[in-house]
Amino acid sequence: MFASSWLILLFPLLGFIGLSWYGNRISRNLVGLVGCGTIGASFFMTLVTLSNLLFLPPEERVGHVQTLYQWVSAGSFKLDVAILVDPLSVFMFLIVTGVGFVIHVYSVGYMHDDPEYSRFFAYLNLFIFSMLVLVAAADFFFLIVGWALVGLASYLLIGFWREKTSAVLAARKAFVMNVIGDVGMVIAALVIFETFGTLNFADVFASAPGMFRPNDDSMLLITLLLLVGAFAKSAQLPLHTWLPDAMEGPTPVSALIHAATMVTAGVYLVARCHVLYELAPYTMYFIAGVGIITAIFAGSMAMVQYDIKRVIAYSTMSQLGYMFLAMGIGVYSLGMFHLMTHAFFKALLFMAAGSVIHSLDGEQDLRKMGGLQSVMPLTHATFLIGALALAGIPLTSGYFSKEAIILSSYHADMGNIVFWAIAVLTAGMTAVYISRGYLFTFFGRLRSPAAHPHESPMIMIIPLLVLAVLALLGGVLGPWVDSFLAPVFGHVAYHPHDNALESIALVVGIGGIATAGLLYMVSKERLDLFKEALAPLYDLLFHKYYVDEIYDYLIVRPTKAIGAFLEQKAEREGLDFTVDQVGLQIKEVSHGISLWQSGKVRSYALNMIVGVVTILLFVVFM
Amino acid sequence: MEIATLFDFALDTVIFVVGVTAVLASLGVILCSSPIYSALYLIGHMICLALLFLLYNAEFLAVVQIIVYAGAVMILFLFIIALLGGKKEVQENTFHRAMAFGFVFILLGELYLSATVGPTQQIRGEIPAELFGTAKAIGLELFSKHIVAFELASGLLLVAAVGVICLAKFSFVPLRRRAR
Amino acid sequence: MGQEFVLLVSASIFCVGTVGFIIRKNPLIMFMSIELMLNSVNFLLVAYSSFLNSLDGQIFALFIITVAAAEVVVGLAIILTIFRTRHEMDVDHIDVLKG
Repeated sequence: MFASSWLILLFPLLGFIGLSWYGNRISRNLVGLVGCGTIGASFFMTLVTLSNLLFLPPEERVGHVQTLYQWVSAGSFKLDVAILVDPLSVFMFLIVTGVGFVIHVYSVGYMHDDPEYSRFFAYLNLFIFSMLVLVAAADFFFLIVGWALVGLASYLLIGFWREKTSAVLAARKAFVMNVIGDVGMVIAALVIFETFGTLNFADVFASAPGMFRPNDDSMLLITLLLLVGAFAKSAQLPLHTWLPDAMEGPTPVSALIHAATMVTAGVYLVARCHVLYELAPYTMYFIAGVGIITAIFAGSMAMVQYDIKRVIAYSTMSQLGYMFLAMGIGVYSLGMFHLMTHAFFKALLFMAAGSVIHSLDGEQDLRKMGGLQSVMPLTHATFLIGALALAGIPLTSGYFSKEAIILSSYHADMGNIVFWAIAVLTAGMTAVYISRGYLFTFFGRLRSPAAHPHESPMIMIIPLLVLAVLALLGGVLGPWVDSFLAPVFGHVAYHPHDNALESIALVVGIGGIATAGLLYMVSKERLDLFKEALAPLYDLLFHKYYVDEIYDYLIVRPTKAIGAFLEQKAEREGLDFTVDQVGLQIKEVSHGISLWQSGKVRSYALNMIVGVVTILLFVVFM
Repeated sequence: MEIATLFDFALDTVIFVVGVTAVLASLGVILCSSPIYSALYLIGHMICLALLFLLYNAEFLAVVQIIVYAGAVMILFLFIIALLGGKKEVQENTFHRAMAFGFVFILLGELYLSATVGPTQQIRGEIPAELFGTAKAIGLELFSKHIVAFELASGLLLVAAVGVICLAKFSFVPLRRRAR
Repeated sequence: MGQEFVLLVSASIFCVGTVGFIIRKNPLIMFMSIELMLNSVNFLLVAYSSFLNSLDGQIFALFIITVAAAEVVVGLAIILTIFRTRHEMDVDHIDVLKG
């Protein structure tokens, strides 16, 4: 009954193929129409699939595998080209195609003046297709296929402006780190195959609980290897350095890939494999720990960045940390709910920032913005909504999802006070940095009058408005998400109510906003005093804890040195020399032999005699 | 002593003497410093061989040897020597000589040894004894069993004649006379 | 006298001809050495045709004489062409095809 779900993947694929083939020959309007239309059609098919799914009673919603054809059947190993239609995958479909569609429409306006318009939409469609393959995969094989394809699309889109050296380098950095994750995933898949004999999700998850005790070595190995991939893709410590640099790409790319969809692939992975993770509680603690440490790490760095997109990028990293915290604790549906609300308000923030950047002719430095609230009212309003949602102000969607996670970090079975404390502290930092960003951008005097800032065209504003509504009202979807995803996770997440903790978090949030206001709105001297007082800390944060420098010193330079050494010694002097010598020695030998041909008849005769004598020797004596 | 065995003994003796003379004459061919003397030794060698042919019942071939080989070919040789010059030759290159002698000695030994490989198949012909070696017998064989080879040989002689004429013409007549 | 004598004589003349070909520089004498070799084979053939009572040997010897005649003619013409304009008869100096 879910055969039509294949269309969800097919439309973006056709869009990619069509636009990359004919994109240059059709008009811009048609390109935009096709590019957005395919995703819109996918979204429509997603709704159709959703309604089909809702018709079924909750217990029957899991495990529908739509097979296209049987690909490999080798002994006991079977691999089919198939998609998995269950609440979790449909949930991800909704986010990917829905938010994706909105961002596509926005891109029509944002990339309007770009000469490579059709290539952009082709790549965007490729990305959507890859992401859908990832979340629709019914086995580890196609999960990894989608994983790698998404990394490729990310590389193509980050480095979209090919003439910009910094963009190309950033794309390469992102791709290299993604490949590290891919290696982990592939090794994990191999171990899974060796352990279970199959790569199918259904078979693996069904047989795992019966085969292993908790914290078994093989379970720990598999889950940790899968985590390498998840952390690389979702920019958690220590594989996070690519995400800030990825902001070199166009803003719609940052909104789509690095806020709403690709970076959430890691979270999706843990959710999908929760059966395996539940069998390895040590790994779950590890996930929660890494998540929360990344959250505070990124939050602290976001407070001192000057590039508005980088502030939002670190914010993404931080919020992903929250999601991983939720996954690590075991409240999966809360993590997925936060994924959804985060997609709404983070994409909104990116697009609003993009609107600002677009109207200021490419200016991204916060210090050069300001006073835009009267000039760009709609952008201002939507940005404010996104900022409030991010900060977790009551009644926004962000409040519901983040609060739930913060409370669970203390009250859930695997939660403890340390997690809670760091989560609350990070929430405070979140409020500080996003208020700072908001104040810098929209308040004060107009610091860049020369660019003639103006409100963006409607085609860019309407997507902002759509997402703003979702960011504001999406909180009500919380309980529905919990019940919808319950069949997949096996239980409905427990929503604790603890007034004391809630009020503490609220106070911290508002305190953060107030701090930002005090520091950045009142006077510049006070700000400079504050900065001087905390100078060493400020330096550390500004230079991103020197992680990039550490990596460069420990990894990049040795690798380059080894490469240069091998190129010189092994390649040039070793192999090239040997191969050249083969030819040269033949030449030398032949030159030596050619001296034998003296041109003199008598020596030729002598040679003949010698030959005859030798042959006769054989004849006579053998 | 019977006449037959005495005859056989005499025949053997003559064959021995003529054979040794042939070998000595051939040595003379290669060891003389002047080409004229070498040619004369070769003529003598050929006459010895003709005698040997006679002693082995090949009369026709003996006469052919004298007329064609010793008569025509060697006279041609003598003419060329007279034309081109037979300066006395000074031998250098002792390495070559040493190698040559060494190998050829080995060749001699091998040729002799290869004769001890075993008896060859007996080819028995049907020629009556008194006709053996005569022109008539050779003619009969030549024009029946070996007719193809005979025709080819005549073709070969024709080609040789034409070739010599071409060679001679090219070296003497300048071609410039055409452009007038 | 028997076959050994014939073989010995024939082999000896052949080897003498070979040695002569290798150690002499004068092309005419080299040619004569070739004739020696051909003659030795002729003798062997004729002797064996007598031993085996078959005329094939003599006919083959006849053909050898024929071919040797033709060969001498052409060979001498070539030698004439090459050495006519030189003042020395040294085969070692004809080494244009070396290398």
